[in-house]
Amino acid sequence: MSTTLRSEEMILNVGPQHPSTHGVFRLVVTLDGEQIVDADPVVGYLHRGTEKLAEGLQYTQIIPYTDRLDYIAAMLNNYALVHTVEHALDLEIPARAEHLRILVMELNRIASHLLFLGTYLLDLGAMSPFLYVFQERERIVQLFNEISGARLTYNYMRVGGVKWDAPPGWIEKVREFVPFMREKVKMYDKLISGNEIFLHRVRGIGVITQEDALQYSLSGINLRSTGIRFDLRKNRTYSIYDQFDFDMVTAENGDCYDRYYIHLEEIRQALNIVEQAAAQIPDGPVLGKVPKLIRIPAGEYYTSIEGARGELGVYIVSDGKDKPYRLKFRRPSFVNLQILRKMLIGQSMANLIAILGAVNIVLGEVDA
Amino acid sequence: MEVNQKVQLPTIEYEGFTKEESAELRRAGVVLGPLEQIKGWARSNSLWPLTFGLACCAIEMMGAGASHYDLDRFGIIFRASPRQSDVMIVAGTVTKKMGPLLRRLYDQMPEPKWVVAMGSCATAGGPYVRSYSVVKGVDQIVPVDVYVPGCPPSPVALIYGLNKLQEKIRIEASGKKVSS
Amino acid sequence: MADDKKEDVTEVKSEIKTGSAEAKPTASTKEAAAPTAKPASKVTPAKAAKAPQPPDPRVEQAVKQGEAIKAAIEKKLGADTVEEVTATKDIPILRIASAKWREAVTFLRDDPEQSYNYVELFAGTDYKDYIEVVLYFYSMTHGTYINVKTRTPRDEAIIPSLTPVLPGVNWEEREVYDLLGVTFEGHPDLRRIMMWDGWNGYPLRKDYSDFQNMPQREGEPHS
Repeated sequence: MSTTLRSEEMILNVGPQHPSTHGVFRLVVTLDGEQIVDADPVVGYLHRGTEKLAEGLQYTQIIPYTDRLDYIAAMLNNYALVHTVEHALDLEIPARAEHLRILVMELNRIASHLLFLGTYLLDLGAMSPFLYVFQERERIVQLFNEISGARLTYNYMRVGGVKWDAPPGWIEKVREFVPFMREKVKMYDKLISGNEIFLHRVRGIGVITQEDALQYSLSGINLRSTGIRFDLRKNRTYSIYDQFDFDMVTAENGDCYDRYYIHLEEIRQALNIVEQAAAQIPDGPVLGKVPKLIRIPAGEYYTSIEGARGELGVYIVSDGKDKPYRLKFRRPSFVNLQILRKMLIGQSMANLIAILGAVNIVLGEVDA
Repeated sequence: MEVNQKVQLPTIEYEGFTKEESAELRRAGVVLGPLEQIKGWARSNSLWPLTFGLACCAIEMMGAGASHYDLDRFGIIFRASPRQSDVMIVAGTVTKKMGPLLRRLYDQMPEPKWVVAMGSCATAGGPYVRSYSVVKGVDQIVPVDVYVPGCPPSPVALIYGLNKLQEKIRIEASGKKVSS
Repeated sequence: MADDKKEDVTEVKSEIKTGSAEAKPTASTKEAAAPTAKPASKVTPAKAAKAPQPPDPRVEQAVKQGEAIKAAIEKKLGADTVEEVTATKDIPILRIASAKWREAVTFLRDDPEQSYNYVELFAGTDYKDYIEVVLYFYSMTHGTYINVKTRTPRDEAIIPSLTPVLPGVNWEEREVYDLLGVTFEGHPDLRRIMMWDGWNGYPLRKDYSDFQNMPQREGEPHS
């Protein structure tokens, strides 16, 4: 279809205030007709200087700031920080605390994936999934509210354990939640996965190859959708994930549909973990023996966990004081977003939102 | 039905009308009022906020708009364009990079317009008050009508704040002043 | 699984202190600044107290592994490519001369013996006398970790860019450029990423002050 008609290129600015960019993300797109010729993502509209602030805070004081990085999966962020500190200090964590951590982390993963389902479908023009998912998400949020006292920014983990024990009846509520949620996932599967319009919007769109995925150091669902079996819960087991029976979910095509479907499937796997953890949770203390003032021996430490969006790592350089000399978050959204430009070039304009939505970014994490 | 007949609303006596005329107006279901007040009543019940999620608070704002809390019942429907909206809910941290854009969006909104600062970041910088890149409160950029405290405020708190804004609109329409 | 992990871990403790004291600037820059020398003196008594404990096998092995990689790199790229080999816990740390930074990383990626093909972390740190850039590399085939780093002087911070060989560090290098002021030579698109172009100074440097940007607040940051 080439060359007979010459068309001028047009520059279109998407965002930073745009309902489908999930926050303050800006994309300067160069268009030739409907085709995307070039795309320049502009980030930094939510850059809050967390890393600089953390240099002036004690380790326990940093935990609330991690809540506000990836605010959709705050429990996982909490854990990423305390995990690195515990790794540096070689702390022993009581079994009950580990179980509670697993419970809240996996519940948070479910809440995060649910939000993805709702907003992604909303971006593609389907209104009702958004209204459905918020009902289930509200139940999880209520559970968090009971255990931590907050709905979104929990500040629940501490170095050496968790802040509060589960209130009476909480574990039972979680147990009841699992079969309820399983039914709902079945419903979503029926509602969305076979929908013809949805399939046309996402099948074969935004394909990532394995080589690209590794070169761009993608992680999490974006990486697994290409078929690479890499899930830190399995590959480099941390906490007590090795005690639970769950599957790593991968797909082959690396397109938007695969990414959507892994999200759905991971909710099921997370429910398996929640069920097992709620069944075998032991009694005991929830906070291990931790010095009042936490000092990390001088050196540099890096550990990473499987966050809701990918590999979530914390890098601490310590000079032996109670505050970090340098703290760096390896934010999966930030790293995953780099491939966007490559994915968009050559696509039509209508696919832009479908591709951007499936990468599943959180701007608080991209900009830190 | 019976119930309707039993409800006897008090007759309002309007200036320039006789008692009988006022009763007749009431019976016909007519309420008279100054134009400003009626405009205030209409505006306060159809607030259309701009979807302007900046950070964490945006998730609670979405939660307030979604099925469980349902802002639609107050006539509050999110609009994606500043040209169509009356209220800007600043939900989240305003950075120095975002500040000028926020002001531009505010300028693009048609009069009358109101601003709700949601959460402590938008109110005064919140936990990021010592950061090099954060604006210490959105009221340095745009005038704010209602501040909703919390980090983040729950949907319930946001609804309360929006109700306060409705109240403010009605009071101001009757000529009184509301100090913020 | 969890149990033997803990056993290992208690032994490691003393060794980290010694190992990391070498890796850190504190040891190498003793003569430089008083504040940096302070933590070093703090570490020494702890080190002395725990000295009787046997050295941790994991750190020893990591250093051995690092030495092997060093030998492989230097065979290909000549001597003095690797300046220092240390280890934290079980991760070998190789400090590479900044002139050979890109060649060494490319070698680590392409050599079938090493095949470190996945970038986990790219970070920069301001150590008051110099700036250090760290790269955590993971090998998907062997399942091993390595930490490579390089140093550059503060006032003239220039490091060869890795973006031509590893597209995944593009934005990370821009972030380090933005917040720490390191120029990456050969980067295709080196612009500020978090702050805007008119911003003064590099916020993550230790001597950054907010007053640097005070007069700027009048103008529009956007063109």
